[in-house]
Parts: sequence; C-alpha cells; structure tokens
Amino acid sequence: MELACLGLNHRTAPVEVRERFAVGTPKLGEASHELLALAGMGEGVVVSTCNRTEFYLAAENAEQGLRELERSLAERHGLTPEVADHFYRFTRIDAAEHLCRVVSGLDSMVLGETEIFGQVKQAYHAALHASATGGVLNRLFQRAFGVGKKVRTETRIQEGATSIGNVAVDLAEKIFGHLEHSEVMILGAGEMSRLTAQALVSRGARSIFVTNRSYERAVDLAEAMGGSAVRFDEWQKVLERVDVVISSTGAPHALVHRADVEKVRRARKFRPLFFIDIAVPRDIDPAVGEIEEVYLYDIDTLESLAEEARVRRQRQIDECERIITAELAKLNLPGT
Amino acid sequence: MDRYLLIFSTLLAAVGGVLGMLSVHRGVRSRWTVAWMAAAFCSQLGFLALRGEARAACPLRDAGEILAYLAWSLTLFYLATGPAYRVSLLGVFTAPVVVVFQTAALLPGKLDLVPLKAVGTDPWRETHAALSVLSYGALALAGVAGVMFLVLDHQLKEHHLKSGLFRNLPPVRELLKSTTRLLWLGTLLLTLGIAAGFLMPRAGGSHAHLIAAVASWAGYVLLLGVNAARGMTGRRLSLAAVGLFLLSLTVFAFV
Repeated sequence: MELACLGLNHRTAPVEVRERFAVGTPKLGEASHELLALAGMGEGVVVSTCNRTEFYLAAENAEQGLRELERSLAERHGLTPEVADHFYRFTRIDAAEHLCRVVSGLDSMVLGETEIFGQVKQAYHAALHASATGGVLNRLFQRAFGVGKKVRTETRIQEGATSIGNVAVDLAEKIFGHLEHSEVMILGAGEMSRLTAQALVSRGARSIFVTNRSYERAVDLAEAMGGSAVRFDEWQKVLERVDVVISSTGAPHALVHRADVEKVRRARKFRPLFFIDIAVPRDIDPAVGEIEEVYLYDIDTLESLAEEARVRRQRQIDECERIITAELAKLNLPGT
Repeated sequence: MDRYLLIFSTLLAAVGGVLGMLSVHRGVRSRWTVAWMAAAFCSQLGFLALRGEARAACPLRDAGEILAYLAWSLTLFYLATGPAYRVSLLGVFTAPVVVVFQTAALLPGKLDLVPLKAVGTDPWRETHAALSVLSYGALALAGVAGVMFLVLDHQLKEHHLKSGLFRNLPPVRELLKSTTRLLWLGTLLLTLGIAAGFLMPRAGGSHAHLIAAVASWAGYVLLLGVNAARGMTGRRLSLAAVGLFLLSLTVFAFV
C-alpha cells in the first residue's frame, strides 16, 4: 500500500471552487467509506473544513489511486481540467509530510492556528468509525497528531494573537484575568467593535452595553450580542461601571476626553479601565491614557502587536519543518 | 551547624531565584522555583529549630535571628498564598528578598555565635515578637506583589509586551487583590503583635521601638482604610505597600 493525498485549499482554490468539493461534518465518515469503492483503494480519510478539502488514500499504487479518485470526482462533481489545476497531489512521504504540516497549522490561513488539529482529528475519527481506515492510515494519522503536538509544544508557532480582536482580548485578560467578572461598553455599532466585543464575550465577558448615535442600531447590536442598548448621550453614566470600552465610531473628532474619565474615577474607586480605540480618526483623546489606572490601545498599536506575532510565527516555520522531517525519518511509516 | 543551615537555605533560594529568572527570560514558566523555595523553607525551619532549642525560647533574640525569622515568614506566606498567583513567578520575585534578609543575618555580628539560653521568658513577649515578625512576612510579600504590579503596569502603559516577564506575570486585577489581602492579613497580625506588646512587662528605657511600631501600624491602617473607603489606583497602592514596608523596617533598629 502507498500513501497519496489529493486536495485543495484557500491558497490554491477560490471559495466557489472549494465549496463544490466541501463535505459536511456529518458526512465525513460516509465520504471516506465511499473512497474504498474505487479500484485499488485500500483505505481513505476525507478532511473538509472551510479552507480545505483533502482526500488521504492508501492505495496499491499511489499515482493510480490519485487518477482513480480524480476520475470519480470528475463524474460526481464535474472536475474539469481547469478545476483540476486547483488541486495539489502528494504521494508517499510527501503526503505524510503534508498531513503533518496541516495538523501543525503550517498550512492554515492563520499560521499556527489550533482549530485545524481538532478538525483533522474529527475527520479521522469519522473515517475510523466508518471502517474506512486500516493499518496504513491509522498509523499515519496517529503519528501525525503526535508530530503536531510536538511542533506546538517545542516551538512558538501558536504564540501571540494575530488579529486585532484577539490582541485586545489577550490584553483584557492580562489586565482583568478571567473575563467573567468584566463588563464591556461598545461605542459605535460598527463591524470591528462587534467582532472585538464578540471575542471578549467568547472568553466570558459578562455584560455588554452598546451605544450608538442611531439608537436603533445600538438596539440591534445589543440584541444580537445579548447585551443592553444605551442612549448615546448616556454613555458617561455607564463608564462608571464597565471595565473595557471598545470604541469604533465614525466621528471626525475625539469623543472621549480626559475630563470624561476624570469625572467617574472616584465613583469607579480608581479600578483599572481598558480602552480599545479601533476608530480612524481616533475616538479617544490620547490624554486619557495618561490617567494612572487607564490602559489605552489604539488601532495602530493593536495592529503592530498582531503583526509582530505573525512575524514571530513566520520565523518558526523552519524550526517546525525541521521537527516534522526529523520525526518522519524516525517513524518509518508504512506506505511512504 | 545552625549557621550552615541558614547558608544552605540562602543558596537554595538564590539558585531558585536565578533559575527562575533565566526561565522567565526565555519566556517559559519556571516550574521548579516553588520546589527550590520549599527546600529553602525546610532549611530555614531547621535553623530556627536549632536556635529555638538553644535559646529555649522563640529564636528572636538577636538581629540575625530576627532577619532569618522574617525570611522564613516571607517564604511561608509565599508557599501558602502562591497558588493564588502563578506560583513560580511570585517565587522569582520573593527569592531575592529572602536572599537579602538571610545574607544580612549572616553578616558578622548579627548572629550570636553561642546563643544563650533565655532567662525568665514571658508568654506575652514571645507572642509579641513571633506575631510581629510573622506579620512582616505578609507585609513583605504584599510589597513583592506590589513590585510585580508596578512592573506589569509599566509594561502595559508603555506597550512593552514582548518580554518573557510580561507573558508570565499574573493579571493586574489578581496582583492588586493579592496585595490587598496580604496587607489585611499582615496588618491583622501586626495588630495582635502590638496588642501582645502592650501586655508584656516593660522595663522602662527608650520608647522608640514602640513609637516606630505604632507608627507603622497606623500607616498600614490608614492605607487600608483609604483603599476600602475611597479606593486607590493600583500604582499608589503598590507604591504605598512597598514604601510602608521599607519604612516599617526601622522598627528593628530599635529592638
């Protein structure tokens, strides 16, 4: 038996191509089992996420197995030669190496992201339960998970937040610890505020207050996030109780001035206050950051922190690949 | 023998602190600092047990013993409250303070070479000395937590977020909570210690020790009162915790 992999991902194919070959999570086992019907095919696993669809095969002959699979895809999904160009093909040790890169997050849109590890594991278990795997793919996937863990623990590939929202959440956790005791106010019901607030809520932030010049939009966003809407002329009152303020209005000048914060300091008992200003022009006067208990971060600072993390992750790629090559050399996997 | 135990304990704390700092510098948590500090604590216990036996009283009869007892108390509170923090990192900050106290205790003239048996011990005097020095352990640890806050606050304010130290420091809110709790605990123990001091027989002489002790106690009570009633920024609370601890050490000059 020889290993082979046929696949397409966010780098090789646009979404309209990827969606034609996507397989829903509940159908992964069934799709893996269907591969066994192809001539010369011994085992199969289908991995499908929003960014990739990949077919891992153990066939009597790797090249022939790939041809059989492409023929089947052409029949079922209309795989034309133009579309076929979006696919990549790996055989034997290259297929094993590719899987290790995928589970380590090296092939992901966000380098080093961890979600892919669970998604591949889920796809493998679906194939296992559908009896679509055997000695070759079982060993390959189990070893790949081991290599993926080693890469993540021995390198800094997953260190640091790579998006503005996640940088803001990491900082909020550095200030407040667990966010379940933290309250958040959103100034301006824009998309960026929504995404950042959602990231905070996903890590446990308790209450969300939304204020916007258009009260209706504030109500809509507050409802969508399970929070409360506040009239725009009343946001100063809410400032007394919240821990985090996310601001992203379209105002042409600063909305939050030092005096606004000074007014509520005593009522807040001088508790720490975290301002996230993702508006351009900035909503929060930089002088606010001079107040002792205030931590102020604007969009440039957050973006530069995210960029630094991305660069740090990029620098880890060589080290990750060295680990993968060394581990695969030691494993002597069947089918490679 | 007792002196060697104190030297050994100092070395253990120093090694734990240095290894911890190196780990933090590399950006990883120093998991073994707590083990080194626990070993240092055992060695401190051995020293205090031997001195206590020789004195037939609480070993707080010379400046060296007081400093060693203070270091023991600080280590005790670190080991007891550490789990509330990221244990190893608090240890990294505590270890140098322990090393400083114990090195000072080992300086020539600080420890009686032949500790004499205490004559006519009084339970109130023993209680006063033991609780007062114990309280200083909690207050010293509050100062250590305060320093940790000041470092983190500076890094957050200046957006210096890349260091291993930043990654390993506990959150601002946790540090402030811990500082406040340790201040309360230390002040409570100091109150009991001073109360016991009023009940022990007094032999006239200078009142400087009493005045310094009551002034320290009043400073801590004022700090906690203001913080509870009106609130205080983390920076001021931390600076006050560090400053008051350093000032309160003057009490020992008058023992």
